[in-house]
Amino acid sequence: MWTTRKLLALAALGLFVFASNPACRLIQGVQNPGSSNPNQPGPGPRVSREGTLTLLGGDPPTLDPATSGDATSATYIVEIFSGLLTLDKDLRVVPDLAEKWDVSADGRTYTFTIRRDAKFHDGKQVKASDFKYSWERAANPRTLSPTADTYLGDIVGVADMLAGRAQQISGVRVVDDSTLQVTIDEPKAYFLAKMSYPTSFVVDRENIERGGRTWTDRPNGTGPFKLREWRKGQNIILERNENWFKGAPNLRQVNYILSGGSAMTMYENDEIDATVFGILDAERILDPSPNNQLLKEVVRDKDGQPGVAILSTFYIAFNVTKPPFDDVKIRQAMNYAVDKDRIIDVVLRNMDIRADGILPPGMPGFNPQLRGYRFDPATAKRLVAESKYPDLSRFDITLSTVGAGANPARHIQALTEMWKTNIGLDAKIEQVEWATFLDDQFAKKYTFFEGPGWIADYPDPQNFLDILFYSKSQQNHTNYANPEVDRLLLQARVERDQNTRIRIYQQVEQLIMDDAVWVPIFHEKQFWLVKPYVKGFVVPPMVIPTLQYISIQR
Amino acid sequence: MGQSSVGPIIVRRLLWLPVLLMLISLTVFLFGTYGPGDPVLVRLGNKANPEAVERVREELGLNRPLHEQYLNYLGKVLQGDFGESYKYPGVAVTDLIASRLFVSLQLGVMTTLIVFAIGIPLGVITAALQGRAWDRIIVSLALIPESIPVFVLIPIVYFIFVRQLRWFPASGWDGIFSLNAILPLFVLSLGGVASVLRQTRTNTLEVLHNDYVRTARAKGLPSRTILFRHVLRNSLLPLWTAVGFIIASLPAGSIIVEGLMGIPGIGELAWNAIFQRDYPVIMAITLLGATLYVIGNLIVDIGYPLIDPRIRY
Repeated sequence: MWTTRKLLALAALGLFVFASNPACRLIQGVQNPGSSNPNQPGPGPRVSREGTLTLLGGDPPTLDPATSGDATSATYIVEIFSGLLTLDKDLRVVPDLAEKWDVSADGRTYTFTIRRDAKFHDGKQVKASDFKYSWERAANPRTLSPTADTYLGDIVGVADMLAGRAQQISGVRVVDDSTLQVTIDEPKAYFLAKMSYPTSFVVDRENIERGGRTWTDRPNGTGPFKLREWRKGQNIILERNENWFKGAPNLRQVNYILSGGSAMTMYENDEIDATVFGILDAERILDPSPNNQLLKEVVRDKDGQPGVAILSTFYIAFNVTKPPFDDVKIRQAMNYAVDKDRIIDVVLRNMDIRADGILPPGMPGFNPQLRGYRFDPATAKRLVAESKYPDLSRFDITLSTVGAGANPARHIQALTEMWKTNIGLDAKIEQVEWATFLDDQFAKKYTFFEGPGWIADYPDPQNFLDILFYSKSQQNHTNYANPEVDRLLLQARVERDQNTRIRIYQQVEQLIMDDAVWVPIFHEKQFWLVKPYVKGFVVPPMVIPTLQYISIQR
Repeated sequence: MGQSSVGPIIVRRLLWLPVLLMLISLTVFLFGTYGPGDPVLVRLGNKANPEAVERVREELGLNRPLHEQYLNYLGKVLQGDFGESYKYPGVAVTDLIASRLFVSLQLGVMTTLIVFAIGIPLGVITAALQGRAWDRIIVSLALIPESIPVFVLIPIVYFIFVRQLRWFPASGWDGIFSLNAILPLFVLSLGGVASVLRQTRTNTLEVLHNDYVRTARAKGLPSRTILFRHVLRNSLLPLWTAVGFIIASLPAGSIIVEGLMGIPGIGELAWNAIFQRDYPVIMAITLLGATLYVIGNLIVDIGYPLIDPRIRY
């Protein structure tokens, strides 16, 4: 049998070649993943560990507050780090590390008083100079922050630093250890809301300088939870900050599984304590029959309805300078020609909310009295006939949408069918892969497109109306320019009376809707299942810290 | 055994390897540069503003002339530095790949062992029993897993073993010697076992009809000796060729199985890297794949004369 021995030797040689490959040499010393972790799920029901919440999580690109710009990263960052202010469950701006603040008479200078008991995870006091360091780090062009312009850009001197013209932010002054004075360029009311976003969070200089490029593997934050372990693409374990100034959170530990998997199977197999679910599982889960146990585990909104509305708007947009969409009558006709109620009911199975305007419900300034467009094919036809382009069939129009595969989203198919039937506009659907879409949207290449939806970053109408429709805004993808809208937007930026400000934004929204720059389709709702022993689970309308409200009670 | 004639082959192939890697890296690099999509925009997302885009592009060195970018990259790679991931800022590509590759390698090697350990004996047995009931049953049953795609198989397996029997967890990874690994291994090897079985059976049957087998029978050798000593070795040759491809495909992992079963392997990393335009990661995985491809084929070529002494180079 020497042949078998030879073959075995050969197999051993093969393995040796793997092991001596340079790339494989790196894996020496890599522990068997998970073997050291006592909380790794085994088979059967096993989420009963006291005080531990297990979730399927998104894989965050980074945990660095300054370089994150995506919602997935923010989900973890808002638990580990914190800033001067935060948002409560109702999205009100409330004090966090700052116990109070004063605004100067001209509305441009904010003086924040930092709490005496504000501490980093290692027990070190948080000082005003830590904020100055953190913001200057974010505004340093070498940090590559994607968000510093948006969230810190109102502060005097940030633009200079970002452009490499300054070494410091001139508008930030450390008065003493607990007093930070910030000067902004104009009296902008929404500035405070931006202070609750990760870009303005405080980080520990020593932690960063000692940790080097991978300092976020062991971040010394200030938030309610500490990072115990992060294996990229595998898992994140958070444990509570026993010394948090608001008192230690109830949850002892939170395990996020990052490697994906079949969420519903994992939930029903008791491997995770909560999960989001989609339209495919909805029928079974929302089935009203009394022996449907799952229905009792569905998270409900304040009105007791299943699902929670997310501060988001999904829409079809036009490039208003390109024919035939340069004629407002065509754009209005496009709005009148779609039966959104039917789409919401039949295609989206009532899992989303019909959108009539730009701002989502729950956003300050949301206007239930907004004049949108009802479904009215006759008016749509009349408007087309009166327009510059009475015969839409001669246009070769492409609707660009994010996606892959030969099967576009069903609501998109329904919409194009309605336009074809009601006003004779026969649009081809083009599915564009995400990276390419971003590229082309950025270059304003699209004439007619469904964007990836706009989701709020901070609860202020400026975040939608100003950023998307101000003529000089960099994210105005529609080329919309209305001098009246511009004038009102500039006025609203610096209006200090909140009620007047809201009224101006409502006026702006009405003007934009009258100009029919978008066909708003729906506001997204998220549907979650949560095990009955998890109390206080919050599905927020945007990313805010929520783990502190949760406890496990059996 | 022609040991002296295998040597030059190894040397020749290995000398070609750097040239091959250069060509591949240049191709991937050019695809990345001229293909659609911009890594900077993917990193900054839907809400990117032009100033930030310009700044990040500058800092990542993507504004520099192409030849400079490429030579820069090559220079670093030669020192073992594959750069930093675009998607995970601050994370070295080598670190990112190492842990994932380790998971996929464990799965891949184990799957291969299972496939051969079960497929080959079954193939020989069914060949020996050709035409009898057991042969027919096994061969027809083998058609089933071979024709079920994994994305159909996984829900079925989940339904039976996770939901109904509750024997195994639905996901997660705890090393190759854990309960978590059993379902993925089952799913990954089922189709392979079936196809190796069929191949071995066909090869064995072919060999069985050779003159020397008849001679061996005629001189009264027991059929077991004939089968395992004279037939098996010759029927393994075509299978051995497949080993090269298996080795080459190891760094690709299995995108579908890894994704659906929640395994942090390299397939998922590669898949995401492509959609995120994470070029340093794509580049490193491609180069690793090419290297393993060459080495895999080399192993196969070295192996041929060991299995069949008639083969010489």
